[in-house]
Amino acid sequence: MRHLSEGTLRRIYDEPLAMAAADQAHYEGCAACKARFETVANLSRSTAALLALPAFEVEARPALARLNSRIQEEESRRPVRWHERFLSGMPGLRPLAAPVLVVVLAVGLLAGFSATGVLPSLIKVFEPHSFAPVLVSPSSLPSSAALLDFGTASWIPAPPKAEQVADAAAAAALSGLPVLLPATLPQGVSGPVTYGVIGHTTGTLTLDGARLRASAASHKVKVNPMPAALDHSTIYVSGGPALVELWGAPAQGSSGAPTLVIAQTRVPTVESTGASTQQLEDYLLSQPGVPPDLAAQLRAIKDPSTTLPIPIPAGFATTKPITINGVQGLLIDAGIAAGVVWEKGNVIYAVGGQLTPDQVIALATSLH
Amino acid sequence: MLHAEAWRPAVTRTPLTSTGQRTPDSFERLFLEEYQKVVAIAYRVLADRAAAEDVAQEVFLQFHRSQSPTSEHASGWLRSAAVHSALNVIRGERRRQKRDLAHVVEETAARSENPEQLVVAAERQREVRQALSRLPEKAAAILVLRYSGLSYAEVATALRLKVGNVGTMLRRAEDALRKEVNRATFE
Repeated sequence: MRHLSEGTLRRIYDEPLAMAAADQAHYEGCAACKARFETVANLSRSTAALLALPAFEVEARPALARLNSRIQEEESRRPVRWHERFLSGMPGLRPLAAPVLVVVLAVGLLAGFSATGVLPSLIKVFEPHSFAPVLVSPSSLPSSAALLDFGTASWIPAPPKAEQVADAAAAAALSGLPVLLPATLPQGVSGPVTYGVIGHTTGTLTLDGARLRASAASHKVKVNPMPAALDHSTIYVSGGPALVELWGAPAQGSSGAPTLVIAQTRVPTVESTGASTQQLEDYLLSQPGVPPDLAAQLRAIKDPSTTLPIPIPAGFATTKPITINGVQGLLIDAGIAAGVVWEKGNVIYAVGGQLTPDQVIALATSLH
Repeated sequence: MLHAEAWRPAVTRTPLTSTGQRTPDSFERLFLEEYQKVVAIAYRVLADRAAAEDVAQEVFLQFHRSQSPTSEHASGWLRSAAVHSALNVIRGERRRQKRDLAHVVEETAARSENPEQLVVAAERQREVRQALSRLPEKAAAILVLRYSGLSYAEVATALRLKVGNVGTMLRRAEDALRKEVNRATFE
């Protein structure tokens, strides 16, 4: 048998129990390997002496407190994101942690989009019935896009706004959606429940290439020219009503996050007078500043007209497909919290909170 | 599909004795588990307690911004980040020339009764850290992680190596460090 390698001898010095039986047998009977082992061991001992340092006690708790205050400071310096402004009408929603926010966002974000058969000639460009996770790195999103003027926009009756209501009966009456409740609450989740409703809203956007060009020029950003097929076409977006139930919502003005959120919304729809889903997607994703990996992920969605992309902060949460109450859904696991989202009977449901994935799934399955 | 009253009996069936209790924060748990190791790794490179704790803060802050605490790679990420960040610090210092070793002297003083020994020890510390900073990144990292008490499997995870290669690479790194220290001594 060949002699043992230097690497094997080195490991024998540190971790003798990790030695393979054949190596052990060889070593026992090989004077040459034993002599080489001594050299390896001597070098290791002298390295240990070189790298030796006085020991000291590490105190993790004060270090954690210091880190937490830095994290909080960083958070407070961060500009308020648009979705936080949007959700700030409801106490407890603004400081929501990752998946809960993502899930509620996915629902709330498009809770302004659904056209209730406005015109017979409309092309339906978006009506989600399935979900696809899209990894986003918040820092890489183009901030200029939100400022640009794509054309004439209007909301009927008003831009979507979350409104807190007194109780379940009021929430059901205002939203027209049944209030769903879990069979039992997981440990750590307790009342009172806060109810919020986002009313049904319709909005229109008439694309205008000339206005976009002028707006881009004034913001000193480059945009690709709007294709003729899109220019002057109108997009009808409409959605809601949506109903949100929060357990453990912190009082207004205080920090923290609800322990459990159950949200539901009628499936939003987007329709257009000319532009197809593909044309809209192609144009929007070709804009300079759209991160290439985000564009690639969105392009990879097989049927963009029926798939709702769920933004997942990269490195912060993982997702997997899951079956909830007999339909396909998406599980989002962000470590400190988890959420599920699914669609059934033209309603999108989302459940999330500071819970484990198993707790969230059990809870979602038990809703009635 | 029921009204709010409907869940109240259910709540009674599961008494919520721990009102307000939340799922333990996985980031906090990870921090408490890993902090000592992260500091130890940075300290092995920097030989400076305060600087090692500063590196650990930066490493955890960066982790918090970009990683999931429940990822199976969390520990490996932290340990790898600790060694690379600390090596970056010491390389920066090398560029700024001589390092003030007052802190090393201070810490060694506790164990030494002979001031001469103290000076020699401090000088040796400086030479070793400089030698470490001149080694190839992977060699320096493997030495630091192993001598901070990581097992071969943990070193392999942190540096994305095959565990079977750790022994060979460690042996070579030790050889390289010895040569660097000797070179510095005889220069």
